[in-house]
Amino acid sequence: MADSICRTLRDGALEGELAPTLTIKDSLASPFGFHLFSHILLQLSSHVMAQKSQSQAIVIVALSRSPSSYTALLNMNGVDIASSNKWIHILDCYTDPLGWKDKTRKSVNVTDPSHQISLATSSYKTVKDVDKLFSVITELGRGLVRENKARFCVAIDSLSELLRHASLQSVASLVSNLRSHDQVSSIFGLLHSDLHEERAAAVLEYMSSMVGSVDPYHHSADGQRGYLENSLPEQNFTKGKFNVRFKRRNGRVRAMCEEFKVEPGGISFTSVSSGDGTAIAGLLPKVQFNLQLSEKERIDRSNVVLPFEHQGNGKPIQIYDGRRSLEESNSEANPISSVKKEDSAMGEIIYFRDSDDEMPDSDEDPDDDLDI
Amino acid sequence: MAATRARVSSFSRNVSTATSQNPGLKHGPNGTMFISSGIPDLDKILGGGFSLGSLVMVMEDAEAPHHMLILRNFMSQGLVQKQPLLYASASREPKRFLGTLPSPASLKGDKSSDLSHEKDLRIAWQYKKYFGEPQLNLNTNNGGQHDYCNDFDLRKPLDRQFFSGSNVDCVSINDSPNLTALQDHCAGFLAKFSRNEGSIPSAGRIAIQSFCSPQCKYSNEEWHMLSFIRSLKGMVRSSNAVVVVTFPPSLLSPSCSKRLQHMADTLLSVKAIPDEDKELAKLLTGYQDMIGLLNVHKVARLNTQVPVILEATTFSLKLHKRRFLVLECLNQAPVDGSSGSSYGTSGGCSGSTKTGPLDF
Repeated sequence: MADSICRTLRDGALEGELAPTLTIKDSLASPFGFHLFSHILLQLSSHVMAQKSQSQAIVIVALSRSPSSYTALLNMNGVDIASSNKWIHILDCYTDPLGWKDKTRKSVNVTDPSHQISLATSSYKTVKDVDKLFSVITELGRGLVRENKARFCVAIDSLSELLRHASLQSVASLVSNLRSHDQVSSIFGLLHSDLHEERAAAVLEYMSSMVGSVDPYHHSADGQRGYLENSLPEQNFTKGKFNVRFKRRNGRVRAMCEEFKVEPGGISFTSVSSGDGTAIAGLLPKVQFNLQLSEKERIDRSNVVLPFEHQGNGKPIQIYDGRRSLEESNSEANPISSVKKEDSAMGEIIYFRDSDDEMPDSDEDPDDDLDI
Repeated sequence: MAATRARVSSFSRNVSTATSQNPGLKHGPNGTMFISSGIPDLDKILGGGFSLGSLVMVMEDAEAPHHMLILRNFMSQGLVQKQPLLYASASREPKRFLGTLPSPASLKGDKSSDLSHEKDLRIAWQYKKYFGEPQLNLNTNNGGQHDYCNDFDLRKPLDRQFFSGSNVDCVSINDSPNLTALQDHCAGFLAKFSRNEGSIPSAGRIAIQSFCSPQCKYSNEEWHMLSFIRSLKGMVRSSNAVVVVTFPPSLLSPSCSKRLQHMADTLLSVKAIPDEDKELAKLLTGYQDMIGLLNVHKVARLNTQVPVILEATTFSLKLHKRRFLVLECLNQAPVDGSSGSSYGTSGGCSGSTKTGPLDF
């Protein structure tokens, strides 16, 4: 199921559609959001390198991790750093997001400590200016892909960091502008849901087409105090559950769940058998029973003779009145002996009038009104 | 002669007849006029359509884009009937949305054959022999309704000629710091349809999509948004137009969302349904074709104190032949009588499953 997320991100956006966006939410109870983020980043990188994805480049907006940590991550997973300049670029908003170093640098020479080969990085110093961030991201992306129609992915390291510096409205407008940009193939970002108000998570869920939440493996009954009392089962420290809600194009929502385990080398997923069904009683009111006819019922209904004008094929028509009429039983009982006929003849109703002051109309057969 | 007047009798309270001059308008009860919503089933549910002068609000579900279907049909219907349209949304280029509007279905072949078949079948009352043509004439409205409300084919885009004229005005509310610009726009638009004149030349439609979407700069100012909607409602009440606003209630504070809901004359909400949910498939017939649910919370009643009480308020949204939007009542699948532990299945002398000391 993490595979289906990666596949969706890899396939990207259709013409005229907004780019698929994934928001990974985690919390202190299960703080593995970044592991999932890096897993998806690695998967997407391998797709981009193998040229199997719609996007040809990735732009990482690094807010909570340094560019060198990304270099190390890709190195560890066998990505050739030297040639990666063509398809990956890091926007470094981690080192100096607010531009303080420029302001304090006087005569001190600050040498850049890193000499090893690293990923292509540009530093960005005005995180508060989200409009400028948008234009820088798109410029970088366009620079990487170089053609007008080609697309690139955007990975936002931590939306929580961005929300620290900028207002929710500006972050929402950044995401929506990225989604509607012609050259963006897909976007994914990480959010720590317990750092913000509920509204922030609701807004980002509204804007995303996939929402993945990282939940603890065992839910402790008392969420707040669980980790303080050390009563959390040990499995919560390495395992967890990943619940994803996909918003599909046909308007339905697919909810999927998977278990993951964090290992030194990475993260592994196992599918989980779905447990309790979601309560759908809330969706539906008390509905009426099925009023539609099955096929057999339909055939039976068409066989009933109704009192409409000029029906039938010349034979005298008997109106259905709840009992099988004489003619019907005769026509169907042909092979049966004549004993039956006498029986049915004996089944007549003999009517005696109760009293003389009954209204004369009651003697008439009401069916006489009908002219068939 | 003047246009046909609405029949007012206790048996036909909801029957409305089309006006002869303008097929896009229909007389409703209590002196109101209706315009079509673009979805024939929705018109039937609401008793004729959207009342002129009413504010329709559609509550979005954050997980599904069904409010767009309602908005698209509403806008297409207006364009096809040459009713001026004002469209506002939070995207940078609202004009692009016009390219996704559906076109009316060209053939109505199977529908008309059903009607003619029904006309042939008449109940054979004997007294008919003594009169000439029968007086019973069911479904005369269907002929007139053909122009009032179209069936829209969601896969066919609308011809450009419908929206290239000056009939359509698109406004983007993305960059504006507050709603005063949109308010002025709406005021200017609605002034063309003020209700002072006797005859109604045409009706106007305003469609506002995702009103409080989070990328707008005013999305935090809830009182500002509420007062905008209130003034819009006042303006539309005295004009021959209908306003449809969609908004996501999950992004607003509960009190603001409730206030917006109360301001609406007609309130609808759309809901997403889970995909490949076996329980839901067992519970409902026709689950395979459903794409979502529509709830009708309030129906506009102007000029009267009598409310509309609907038989059913939840409808399923389906795409008939993947092209036409239909609304259907929900039907429950036959419930299996022996499901669950009923009284009959618990064995033993005692009703409980635990054996007490006195059981034998």
